[in-house]
Amino acid sequence: MIRTALKTVFAHKLRLALTALSVMMGVAFIAGTFIFTDTINDTFGQLFDDIYEGQDIIVQASTEFDVGFSGPPPIDEEVLDLVVAVPGVEVAEGGVQSSATIFDKDDEGIIPTGPPTLGASLTDDLRLAGNAGLREGRVPETGSEVAIDAATADSNDLVVGDVVKIETPVVTDTYEIVGIIRFGDSDNLAGATFAGFELETAQQVLDLEGQYSAITVIVEDGASVDVVRNSIAVALPEGVEAVSAADEAAEQSEALSESLGFLQNALLIFALVAVFVATFIIQNTFRIIVRQRQKELALMRAVGATGSQVVWMVVIEALVVGLVASILGLAFGFVIAGLLTAGMSAVGFDLPSTAATLAPRTIIVGMAVGVVVTIASAVLPAIRASRIPPVAALQDVDITLRMSDRRRTTIGVVLLVLGMGGILNGLFGDVVDFGPLDELTAIGVGAILVFLAVSMLSSLVVKPAARFLGWPMIKLDNMTGNLAVENSVRKPRRTATTASALMIGLALVTFFFVLGDSIKSSASASIEEGLRADYVVSIDGFSGGFSPALGDELREQPEIGAVTSLRFGFWDNDGSEDFVMGLDTDTVDETIFLGVVQGSTEALGEGGVFVQEDIFNDNDWVLGDTVPMGFVATGLQHVEIVGVFTEANVVQANYLVGMDFHEANFAGYGADLDFVLAVNAADGADADSARAVVDATASEYAGATVRDQVEYRESQENQVNQILVLFNGLLFLAVIIAVIGIVNTLALSIFERTREIGLLRAVGTSRWQIRRMITWEAMIVAIIGAVLGIVVGLFFGVSVTAALASQGIDVLSIPLGQIIGLVIFGAIAGLLAAILPARRASKLNILEAISYH
Amino acid sequence: MTTMQAISGTTAARLDGGSKIYGAGDTEVRALDNVTVEFEAGRYTAIMGPSGSGKSTLLHCTAGLDDLSDGRVYIGDVELGSLKEKDLTLLRREKVGFVFQAFNLIPTLNARENVLLPMLIAGEDHDDAWFEQVVGILGLGDRLSHRPSELSGGQQQRVAAARALVSRPEIIFADEPSGNLDSKSAAELLDFMRRAVKEFGQTIVMVTHDPVAASYADRVVFLEDGKIVDELHNPTTDSVIDRMRQFGA
Ligand SMILES: Nc1ncnc2c1ncn2[C@@H]1O[C@H](COP(=O)(O)OP(=O)(O)OP(=O)(O)O)[C@@H](O)[C@H]1O
Ligand SMILES: [Mg+2]
Repeated sequence: MIRTALKTVFAHKLRLALTALSVMMGVAFIAGTFIFTDTINDTFGQLFDDIYEGQDIIVQASTEFDVGFSGPPPIDEEVLDLVVAVPGVEVAEGGVQSSATIFDKDDEGIIPTGPPTLGASLTDDLRLAGNAGLREGRVPETGSEVAIDAATADSNDLVVGDVVKIETPVVTDTYEIVGIIRFGDSDNLAGATFAGFELETAQQVLDLEGQYSAITVIVEDGASVDVVRNSIAVALPEGVEAVSAADEAAEQSEALSESLGFLQNALLIFALVAVFVATFIIQNTFRIIVRQRQKELALMRAVGATGSQVVWMVVIEALVVGLVASILGLAFGFVIAGLLTAGMSAVGFDLPSTAATLAPRTIIVGMAVGVVVTIASAVLPAIRASRIPPVAALQDVDITLRMSDRRRTTIGVVLLVLGMGGILNGLFGDVVDFGPLDELTAIGVGAILVFLAVSMLSSLVVKPAARFLGWPMIKLDNMTGNLAVENSVRKPRRTATTASALMIGLALVTFFFVLGDSIKSSASASIEEGLRADYVVSIDGFSGGFSPALGDELREQPEIGAVTSLRFGFWDNDGSEDFVMGLDTDTVDETIFLGVVQGSTEALGEGGVFVQEDIFNDNDWVLGDTVPMGFVATGLQHVEIVGVFTEANVVQANYLVGMDFHEANFAGYGADLDFVLAVNAADGADADSARAVVDATASEYAGATVRDQVEYRESQENQVNQILVLFNGLLFLAVIIAVIGIVNTLALSIFERTREIGLLRAVGTSRWQIRRMITWEAMIVAIIGAVLGIVVGLFFGVSVTAALASQGIDVLSIPLGQIIGLVIFGAIAGLLAAILPARRASKLNILEAISYH
Repeated sequence: MTTMQAISGTTAARLDGGSKIYGAGDTEVRALDNVTVEFEAGRYTAIMGPSGSGKSTLLHCTAGLDDLSDGRVYIGDVELGSLKEKDLTLLRREKVGFVFQAFNLIPTLNARENVLLPMLIAGEDHDDAWFEQVVGILGLGDRLSHRPSELSGGQQQRVAAARALVSRPEIIFADEPSGNLDSKSAAELLDFMRRAVKEFGQTIVMVTHDPVAASYADRVVFLEDGKIVDELHNPTTDSVIDRMRQFGA
């Protein structure tokens, strides 16, 4: 029995390959996601281990709250004396770390997108340097010397002896490169640029005079780290803690894993979409295969095979396909991981590249998904096959058992209602309590139900849709077009399932198009309304900011009017990370429209916080209430609400504070950099010359980009576009799987119609005409899928956008051009899908086809 | 050679030293063994012989559906071996009609479309009067809008015959066209084919196992083990049966 099953599998290599391909791609996506995130995790885990290598204890400020990326605030220099005095301490040294941007030979700041630009002190004692070591040169000894990381040096042609410009929060100055640093086996720290100074210089230029970011300790030989750590802890003043270096490394790498967890989940959702689409394809394939083998299976039944033996034969075939596909999928996962890395760096996250990590979990999950999905897809058709009465099946009629149209329609409608209900409920409402399901799950399950429902119901529209779409084809290409239309409506459910696979991918693409376009339009509208400033100076990329000196310089220019600095800050909002924007309260009314409905910006300058209106109302706050805000530097503060504002889009935060408050609570390390400057030309100043002044001033600062209102709007739109490209790139795989599905279905249908095609050829149909016939058919299927996808995607997009109205996405915008583009894409996808099957059909040997049984 | 050329004006198709070998070595089968035969224009030829004697092979090779291993085939004056695939398709479309032993119709097309298929494929108009006549004689007038699955086996076979006749090809090849028919339907079909030959000068080559069917033809060619072993002119059912006895069949 098993041997018979295996024989059939290998007798149809092409069929095996096509079926396996769709499973393989789904598995590859899942495996690729795991490999990708595991690799990043491992890389960073290794990185933190390396940084703390050889160190025993870290003394640093203890913080109640741990938000943002800035690490603990600095501690007082004098703490070092306390630590050194503790018995058992071999060496202890203080160090500082903040940001510093190195400039290249063209006077451009070297700013990696994603990783930070680090500036730090270098240790005297090499044992404290972790795995950092000099590749060449020596450690800086004076205030005009610097050592930089090997990667920055090599990619910018900088060598020992060169003089480089470096910008720090306090000052921009030139330094001589005296050393090139490597970190263990890598040329930089996970993509960051690194400028190392002598300690006192570092404290000065990094705005940490008299302070340390941390003190590093090595204990004496034979002394216990824990004992020494306890002794140090006793000696430390309040607000400073001693932790073991190993714990610190573990904690930091865990924090990173957590933030990667989000990325992993997001990618897995896309992977699951791919698997879901693949399920449609596999199920369809097995249905066709079983139908084609109806006679063969019936014959086996007639000679004594039991129904369950027939089921087993099909299931064993599925098992083989699933196993082969999963193994290939795992292998292909490495390619996907590589593509993900490339994709991330294309949208601005440079990730360090190291050997890929293949965890056992990746193998287990990948194999399980591949095999289970394949077998599950095969079981239903197999059971149907086993119920075929042996004698009836020998006649060449399709007597495969299946649901009646009415039942199918009823179930489809019920699923559709449930699915749409789930989505709308998850988005808007509290009409029904989902119990254990949270909103996102409700939306997700709802979406799956809608997809299933549409695929069930779509067989009803296949006939009219194909006739409609086929009309121009028949006009254009009479007989061939006609045959194509008739072929596509011949098995409406097969056509519907094939089209549905494409529908899923394109529905999600449409959804992102609508949502993205609405976000862009909303952002544009709010910038148009809310941005009063003539120019915006902002930092590109995701990290840091620029020195406040830029704003100060601008304020002094006669061509420039009001200048408002905006500074970012993380805080702990009842356990979750939130952010606040600090701003110049005396100029903000001139540069940004906040829509203040209670309180005044002058009052904000005195202290307290402004809260966005919706949040204010949701919390039932009144003016004078306090918000508990947890800051890394200053701990929990109960901040009084002194005002309410409506327009959060331009300031990009729901909580606003004055600059004095910001400085008081975000002292040190990075947070004192300006995030955005809103700049007005002076009254009566010539616009061109004002712009020239802003440009010239900003050009001295690394990464600061000047934009006028229009340019700023475009840049915001571009950010959305990039994310759209990324998402649609991730969906592309699901779409490709669907296109393979069309290829597969066509190939199998052609196989089924071998004699018919042979006959057409015998009576004089040319190969070219056969090709056209198959191509038309593929295009009909693909366009039906595209149109269904667009309809479903529009529903998703419109409802999600409506639900997000209170989040500032209050303009619904449907990008007609892109949607028409999708239909064209569908037609082209059909065209491409037809190439191979059409060639195969046109090459059929007429005689073999005719005598084919 | 000279004699052949002299009568070539009246030769619709001709096989010249044709051999067809399937397989190689131990499994080699000589389905046609150096066969030379011609089918004169305006004549009705029947091919008979035991099962496996090479009748279908002869038909396929002569119609250009299959290649010869050796020898040449001519349709009219055209030597098929020299034709490119595309020209061969065109030639089949224009000059050859075919009725297969089974599976003759496209299931998605109705009877009328199936009959007109070669013209529809070629994008040509058909002769309406002739179409009506053919369809009328074959008794398909009221079945034209039905799909093959809604027709009886005999009706399907008649649709196939109509398709071969309507485009008025130079030569029609039919592989046991009456095989599935009851004797009355078979007689009607065969009679019509003979009328097509007599009244309209159609050339027909037909394979059959049935001596009655063979008696409709002008000439019967007997095949055995891939060779032509005999032929009869103006056969009757009895003369065919007599001849067949010699095969021991
Ligand atoms: N594709 C093939 N491969 C190998 N041998 C073949 C092939 N087709 C036919 N044959 C062999 O060639 C010989 C002639 O076959 P053909 O089909 O021409 O016989 P036939 O006279 O039409 O028989 P029947 O009356 O049964 O239809 C037979 O021995 C057959 O086994
Ligand atoms: Mg035969």
